[in-house]
Amino acid sequence: QLTPSSLLRIGQLSNVDLNEDIHELETELPRQRPNEIPHNEKLLSLKYESLDYDNSENQLFLEEERRINHAAFRTVEIKRWVICAMIGILTGLVACFIDIVVENLAGLKYRVVKDNIDKFTAKGGLSFSLLLWATLNASVVMVGSVIVAFIEPVAAGSGIPQIKCYLNGVKIPHVVRLKTLVIKVCGVILSVVGGLAVGKEGPMIHSGSVIAAGISQGRSTSLKRDFKIFEYFRRDTEKRDFVSAGAAAGVSAAFGAPVGGVLFSLEEGASFWNQFLTWRIFFASMISTFTLNSVLSVYHGSVWDLSSPGLINFGRFDNEKMGYTIQEIPIFIFMGVVGGILGALFNALNYWLTMFRIRYIHRPCLQVVEAMLVAAVTATVGFVMIYCSRDCQPIQGSSVAYPLQLFCADGEYNSMATAFFNTPEKSVVNLFHDPPGSYNPMTLGMFTLMYFFLACWTYGLTVSAGVFIPSLLIGAAWGRLFGISLSYLTKGSIWADPGKYALMGAAAQLGGIVRMTLSLTVIMMEATGNVTYGFPIMLVLMTAKIVGDYFVEGLYDMHIQLQSVPFLHWEAPVTSHSLTAREVMSAPVTCLRRIERVGTVVDILSDTSSNHNGFPVVESNPDTTQVAGLRGLILRSQLIVLLKHKVFVERANLNLVQRRLKLKDFRDAYPRFPPIQSIHVSQDERECMIDLSEFMNPSPYTVPQEASLPRVFKLFRALGLRHLVVVDNRNEVVGMVTRKDLARYRLGKEGLEELSLAQT
Amino acid sequence: PELEPECRSLLAAFAEGSAALTGCLGRRARPVRLCQGCHGHYRRLLAQYGSIARAVGNSSESHNCAKSILTSDRLQIVVTLSEFFNETWEAANCANCLKNNSEGLSNSTEEFLDLFNKSLTCFEHNLQGQAIDLSPNNYTEVCKNCNETYTKLNDLYNHLQRMNRQGGEAEHSAHLCIDVEDAMNITRKLWSRTFNCSLPCSDTVPVIAVSSFILFLPIVFYLSSFLHSKQKKRILILPKRIQSNASLVNIQEKYS
Repeated sequence: QLTPSSLLRIGQLSNVDLNEDIHELETELPRQRPNEIPHNEKLLSLKYESLDYDNSENQLFLEEERRINHAAFRTVEIKRWVICAMIGILTGLVACFIDIVVENLAGLKYRVVKDNIDKFTAKGGLSFSLLLWATLNASVVMVGSVIVAFIEPVAAGSGIPQIKCYLNGVKIPHVVRLKTLVIKVCGVILSVVGGLAVGKEGPMIHSGSVIAAGISQGRSTSLKRDFKIFEYFRRDTEKRDFVSAGAAAGVSAAFGAPVGGVLFSLEEGASFWNQFLTWRIFFASMISTFTLNSVLSVYHGSVWDLSSPGLINFGRFDNEKMGYTIQEIPIFIFMGVVGGILGALFNALNYWLTMFRIRYIHRPCLQVVEAMLVAAVTATVGFVMIYCSRDCQPIQGSSVAYPLQLFCADGEYNSMATAFFNTPEKSVVNLFHDPPGSYNPMTLGMFTLMYFFLACWTYGLTVSAGVFIPSLLIGAAWGRLFGISLSYLTKGSIWADPGKYALMGAAAQLGGIVRMTLSLTVIMMEATGNVTYGFPIMLVLMTAKIVGDYFVEGLYDMHIQLQSVPFLHWEAPVTSHSLTAREVMSAPVTCLRRIERVGTVVDILSDTSSNHNGFPVVESNPDTTQVAGLRGLILRSQLIVLLKHKVFVERANLNLVQRRLKLKDFRDAYPRFPPIQSIHVSQDERECMIDLSEFMNPSPYTVPQEASLPRVFKLFRALGLRHLVVVDNRNEVVGMVTRKDLARYRLGKEGLEELSLAQT
Repeated sequence: PELEPECRSLLAAFAEGSAALTGCLGRRARPVRLCQGCHGHYRRLLAQYGSIARAVGNSSESHNCAKSILTSDRLQIVVTLSEFFNETWEAANCANCLKNNSEGLSNSTEEFLDLFNKSLTCFEHNLQGQAIDLSPNNYTEVCKNCNETYTKLNDLYNHLQRMNRQGGEAEHSAHLCIDVEDAMNITRKLWSRTFNCSLPCSDTVPVIAVSSFILFLPIVFYLSSFLHSKQKKRILILPKRIQSNASLVNIQEKYS
């Protein structure tokens, strides 16, 4: 009789394989022995909850709607537009701030290092310059890493995985707080100035989202100031829509691509979309890029120049100088394949590194030390390569801000130093637009190799940093090499302009690493300012994605899985129609009666073994043998507000309550509801009764227990639910489906697999 | 049909002036000395063109030379020639090494050219009687003796470049005047390529030592954290689910 259990074992991979225990799960009650396993990516964490996107239409909500008349709703709509405009402006300003500070601080650092190297070139003692450079890097990165590791760990990384999860509906703790924004901005500045192989564009998306979440609420919970505006928007539904606008504004400020930003939000939050939201998000993105453009123009001295629409712009790609012909399309597709393979390699290496980091380097001080070491090694690698490079080239004009002569002849400068002393954005633009013959293939090849491994090592550190620019740089470098070798093979044919191949290489590498298709195509099309390049870029990205997906998934998706986030994909896994709601749901469910004893409520909320957030409300019948049908759904947050205001039946009868509870009281307590431990209920009050009829959601979504998993999934995902009650044919509650129950099922290599839950 | 006599004489003067300037530019093309030698010709040509372009006498039809000479045909040779000379002069940036009124060379340029001549003299002096393409060890004398002069020249050149960069961003080009640049280029080529007097690559050993030390640190760090840190374990939570025979049947059907 071993067959059923072995079949079950195939379904529950992680539990069994790593423990090498044989579990008989069919008829036993679950044992309470805690199983400890090392961290892997087939786990789901219990600490992530869903957002309350679905509106609770209780009687208070209906009263409020009756109070607000039709004209006042127009005011609400106008307020939404005003908030979107403010989101755009503030995101643009934050991007300007980051850009200007990075430019000045990085310039200062390069000047100091360059002066030191120049001084010691003649005298000897260059090892001292190396020490100085490494120490400068390490100390700046130490500050950047300390603020992230000790003050706000969620600000680590680029922030795009966290925002993807938020738009998917997962409540990541602390992701849209003001403290996170401050730490993120400072962290990004310090990482870039510290010379790490990182970019500053990815964190703009996270910053834009935080700005949006903050402004739309009209108050600051961290600073304890309430401006008493935008009170209508203080719930998860509205906040999430504004965060989509903020993410789009962030993308737009980072790349100068407003439409790309809108499509990024669309790609990530696809199910909860409507036309008005698209319009408002586009508005926010356009304002964001326009603000950035005008402020940077004023800063650079020529007002209304409007030439820098994003933190990086790729320069103009003219059709006359850099056109492509149809014979080059197969070459581009081949470059896409190469990009996919290299991207898969990058992701695989980063996966092993991140796994190691999660398992062994989890104390904050160790993380800071690791970041410092990476910074020092980056400086050392740069210095050694500059020292050993004998490639000297004369400088054309003022294309290099800090030319380093080292051991070159007078009038010539070390070309490896121009690669390392430039900011990565400028290096990318140089690789696109420099005339043929500007780069020595050997120098470029060595640089690409070193930078690939440095970037792979750097992503995942406890610093705020993005991975867009390093991937673009790696891709542009090998793309240019490819173009140079192509023109060498065809004996200098006029159509092999290496700058064009650098662009395609950059697109291929970025697509191979992050695997974003639609939004990335449009972003690159807008960044190059040339629509005709959209077709080859799209082909390259699609090829890179197909080839890369065959080996390993995208970098952001991989990190989401490693963080054990219950992420719901667009559709249920394809072979799951045979699973019904009955097998998916959690049972038994803790229900509350419509008129419930306060003591019971407090005990249920204080129960630490199960951290439920939603409770079905059943008919309160004193006769317990009769069937109790589902009457509604009430949330933990609502119960806490009720307990805090002591809305008990006895107190109402005695007219002890000053005024009736309104929706405003719930909105004021949002989003940081007090925990149950801070609510004090006396022994007498425990015997009072509490009437949930007014406050519960009287029409929760339900599914019958024979509904298939894809059907349940579609309902859950499309409506953004947090709890879905499973009822039988007599409207009795038999189970509850939450995000963790659905996210468990995934299509793995051998078919449908089920992830286990773990405490993280 | 025919030009007025005054206009004809103006045109003839302009033609002679351009021929003289072209000859001067061609003669002083290599090594580039055109700012020093041709600034007089250029000034005269500018004056001649200016006198054509101004309206002569009253604005009556018969004395308007500008229109009849400059814009009467499709080709507009006079305008083209004048533009060519102007553009060439701008590209050479001769304004940088001439005095403000363009009467002669500026002080800094004179100083530079003086040093330049001294350097060349020093090179010749130390290479007396020898051809340039002999084996390199005969150049050690040149490197030693002329080092001071060459360094002074180089420093002056860098100083001039810095002053030029500071003195205005958009109006001036980033270059010094072509005479100075070419002179410096020739000297540098002689110094670095022909005589091979560049700085030696020193202290390789300390650099290797320090860099190996820094590169070794992460290996130590990772090994120690692997061996000493407690591995982060996750506590599995078994879900509360209905495990019934009915579900078993479903799964069995699924996998069979």
